[in-house]
Amino acid sequence: MAGQSLGRIDDTLLVREAQRGNRAAFEELVRHYDQAVLRLAIHLTGSEHEAQDVYQEAFLKAYKSVATFRFECSFYTWIYRIVTNLCLDHLRKKQVRKEDAPVATDSTGEQYDVLEQVPDARAGANPERDLMRRELGTRISAALEKLTPRERMVFELKHYHGLKLRTVGEVLNTTEETAKNTLFRATQKLRGALADMR
Amino acid sequence: MKCEWVKENITLYVYNELADDARYELEQHLARCTDCTAELKSTRKFHAVLSELPVEEPSPNLVAASRMRLQEVLETTQQGGLWHRLVFDPAAWLRQVRFSPALAATLVIVGFASGIGTAYKILNGGGVGQLAMGTNPPLESSISGIRSVSQAPGSNQVTIKYDTVSTQEAQGTLNDQRIQQLLLFAARDNYNSGVRMDSVDLLTQQPNATPVREALIYALRYDSNPGVRLKALDGLAAYVKSDPRVRDALLEALMNDSNPGVRTETLHLLEPVRADSSVRAVLQRLAENDQNQYIKTQARTILAEMPEFD
Repeated sequence: MAGQSLGRIDDTLLVREAQRGNRAAFEELVRHYDQAVLRLAIHLTGSEHEAQDVYQEAFLKAYKSVATFRFECSFYTWIYRIVTNLCLDHLRKKQVRKEDAPVATDSTGEQYDVLEQVPDARAGANPERDLMRRELGTRISAALEKLTPRERMVFELKHYHGLKLRTVGEVLNTTEETAKNTLFRATQKLRGALADMR
Repeated sequence: MKCEWVKENITLYVYNELADDARYELEQHLARCTDCTAELKSTRKFHAVLSELPVEEPSPNLVAASRMRLQEVLETTQQGGLWHRLVFDPAAWLRQVRFSPALAATLVIVGFASGIGTAYKILNGGGVGQLAMGTNPPLESSISGIRSVSQAPGSNQVTIKYDTVSTQEAQGTLNDQRIQQLLLFAARDNYNSGVRMDSVDLLTQQPNATPVREALIYALRYDSNPGVRLKALDGLAAYVKSDPRVRDALLEALMNDSNPGVRTETLHLLEPVRADSSVRAVLQRLAENDQNQYIKTQARTILAEMPEFD
């Protein structure tokens, strides 16, 4: 389980301190996990701004309810559960809005491609290769957007964040078996959507 | 039927999520079935295609801005829940204690220790000294800080409260819990980098202990001394394959460490897991635009040695 058992002892002490109202201890816990939280939220929402909102809401929620944390799972699983729930809400809202993934609207009401706005900081980048990478990224993103929020989440946690399916099950309050089936479904859908790229 | 089973499980196989017996069975089948071998190849290729969508590391600026924004909100936010639980749900607390013998035993031990500690403080006057006329002044070296200085009104009587420290010595083997705790403390908090180096060096002898590995990751991430970070790398080297958290810490060091030596060492340690999607993504970034020519070249070489996916 990625990192779960490792930090457990350390986390337990910090969680107990945080439960006593020690804010510094809570902030230390935040530092243990916030990069992973941001990484996940950026990849799922596709926007640093929205990822920051998820980050803020998740840790604020955790801070307010850390006193009720009963060590029935690791703090790692608990915080991931909060984050994935927020991200699932985000994905569901996005699906309802039926937005095309990379398109956003600017202040003048004009639509633009979000991916086009990502600066390319690579020195001497090869334009042709960049274009191919960008197209590939856009197609994969579009295929991922077609998954159900739950399939997307299982696939994200497994493929892009390397969590064990047992942990994925714990985080999403389901069984490892269900996580396996969901991963299988997600993979089949993605293979169908990206068949010409194989 | 067998091929159908393989096709249903090949994704789990690629993700290393099959149980050992199923994995063995699948590998046996692959050895003699060309169709399923082709399916495995295709699944692996597809897996690699999907990894082309990189998982971006949050920039240090974004992390810092997020932390600051959160800190501002936390300053004005009250924690909820504990008081509510204590006042309204004491039965739950009692149940928890009743059904948790380990917790109950811990509470008894803590209570017993506190009792001993209190008695000790009463007998010894505690760690805080109170200097009054007629007592011997303490040695300057044993004062760690002055808590308060006050004068009684209308007299020349002065009361000074001060904290004292005394050097103590602990001896024991590396398996001794007290020694381990002191080493862990020294590895993180000591202002003397030589002491941190020695502590980390000793801790690397037992990196499979959970808190030790945690301390080594901490040293790699935050220690200001490159020598200490290199020592921590030594201790973590064996866990790059098996522990994703170690791998993440190494990737962070590879991208952000200020010392080229630490980065170079990290790059070599990550070579065995170069096929991992996050490692690949980092290597690609380094190969494209790293400031350090050696690292850039090495990253390119490692990537070039990997199989092409398209």
